[in-house]
Amino acid sequence: MLGFIFKRVLAAIPVLFLVILITFVLVRLAPGGPFDEERNVPPQVLENLNKRYHLDDPIHVQFFDYLGNLLQGDFGPSYKYPNRSVTEIISSGVPVTMELGFYALIFAVFAGSLAGIFAALKPNSWRDYTPMSIAMIGICVPSFVMGPILVLIFGIWLNWLPVAGWGYAAYDKIIPTITLGATYAAYVARLTRGGMLEVLSQDYIRTARAKGLPEWKVILFHALRGGIAPVVAFLGPAAAGLLSGSFVVETIFQIPGIGRFFLQAAFNRDYTMILGTTVFFAGLIISFNLITDIVTVWLNPKLRKDAFEK
Amino acid sequence: MSDSTIEQGTSLWQDALRRLAKNKLAMSGLFFLLFLIVVSLLTPFIAPYSYETQDLYKGATPPSFEHWFGTDVLGRDQLTRVMYGSRISLMVGFVATSVALIIGVLWGTIAGYLGGRVDTFMMRVVDILYALPFSIFIILLTVVFGRSMLLLFLAIGAVEWLTMARIIRSQVMSIKKQEYVESAISIGLSRTHIIFRYLIPNAIGPIIVYTTLTIPSVILLESFLSFLGLGIQPPQSSWGSLISYGVETMEEYPWLLIFPGLVLSLTLFSLNFLGDGLRDALDPKVSKD
Repeated sequence: MLGFIFKRVLAAIPVLFLVILITFVLVRLAPGGPFDEERNVPPQVLENLNKRYHLDDPIHVQFFDYLGNLLQGDFGPSYKYPNRSVTEIISSGVPVTMELGFYALIFAVFAGSLAGIFAALKPNSWRDYTPMSIAMIGICVPSFVMGPILVLIFGIWLNWLPVAGWGYAAYDKIIPTITLGATYAAYVARLTRGGMLEVLSQDYIRTARAKGLPEWKVILFHALRGGIAPVVAFLGPAAAGLLSGSFVVETIFQIPGIGRFFLQAAFNRDYTMILGTTVFFAGLIISFNLITDIVTVWLNPKLRKDAFEK
Repeated sequence: MSDSTIEQGTSLWQDALRRLAKNKLAMSGLFFLLFLIVVSLLTPFIAPYSYETQDLYKGATPPSFEHWFGTDVLGRDQLTRVMYGSRISLMVGFVATSVALIIGVLWGTIAGYLGGRVDTFMMRVVDILYALPFSIFIILLTVVFGRSMLLLFLAIGAVEWLTMARIIRSQVMSIKKQEYVESAISIGLSRTHIIFRYLIPNAIGPIIVYTTLTIPSVILLESFLSFLGLGIQPPQSSWGSLISYGVETMEEYPWLLIFPGLVLSLTLFSLNFLGDGLRDALDPKVSKD
């Protein structure tokens, strides 16, 4: 198992390196230097600026400098806000984005698996179709439509919940959490339903029922463990998707997380900031995928045996 | 003898069509999409107002008999704007999907047919690309290369081909073991000929299914970018940009958000239902989840 983990981590490193390389080259390819927008910069000042940020070095030297700094957790200075470093900006956004993503994931797993179990208990009846139709809405209505419409209904018309913000007013975290989590709740519901249906037709469930266990015990202790397996495999991609989804939700609800900083940087052409956030996001997403791979193998004894033998 | 084989070939499709016709959700999706495509094609002729006509005296009005979807702050007819938006969104959907289709099918077929080290390498590339944060990369591309429609097509197409490549590869790997492919090899046909005349036509079922399922994710990605202001630029507008404009004023004029949002969601619904229906019809073995 340790060997397997080691191998997967080793395989992830070139991917991350490639991402950094591609992003770095793309950002350098962008037309114009980062200081072109400043008006009336004397050539001497421009030269000094370039020197200060090491922009006059050859590109491969710049790249390896960047990589070296990155290893020490230094993402470089922000071009737009010279007195703040990218590391500072990112670390101020991380807790917010993580909190939002965490709530959304909890919402997705709980609401989704409840709906899925409920649907699987009576397949092809209204108790199956109702939650599954709601799930289809969750999949098909994009977050940038669902968020504003939830705000319109619950924030403006019914006046139950605040329309924006994060931690400023009571309950202002509810709508963003649901907006971000809805799609994933829907996928979790479909996966749970599929998994439960498969498990419920197995022999060991029949045995459990035959020995006289109450139905809720059969569902919770016998069926759920196997039925939920596809959901576990989905958690990694879901966590990664939640991160990308956070751009939109953070923008709609004016939440100061990294997604919003990334978009602002994209609009301001703040190149170091773009580079830093992309690398950071990529690192997170690759780690999530890695953890999912490892957990999937660890949970499935058959795969675990293969991993041992390799 | 040859008659019976032809009959078998068509009966597979007839069978699939019959199964599809029974699927009410898929059929209503299909009809909605056909309706939307016809309306989009005819928009310049049937739109109730012209795209630019402003009526500043009128301003924003709720839906009425003259303006079914209401008007925006500049007094422009929202129905007309949604119709023109559909043209853009559908066009991006179809063109970018074609880009994804071409890359994905060729990549998957070549990897699956050649096998061995080439296959390992090509699929390793797909695995690596899968791990990348794509919405971030597309945003990065729009920042670096400016916001143009052509870039949008290419960037979205370049992102969406991965699943297609994986599915086609596994199809091709099972097709290439069939005897007719062996016979094609043994009579000395070229690789290109085998790929284009034997392998791809026989994988057409999954290709159709996954094309139908790729279009909604492409449309979604484009609306997402346009919503953020990084996709389609004014004066043109797609559903995404109409929605982002509607969000700004939703407190006073909710119809500016609701109608484009509704049309976008219905389109995504229809495409997903049709895709699922086609999958069930063409390959009854694959379950829904």
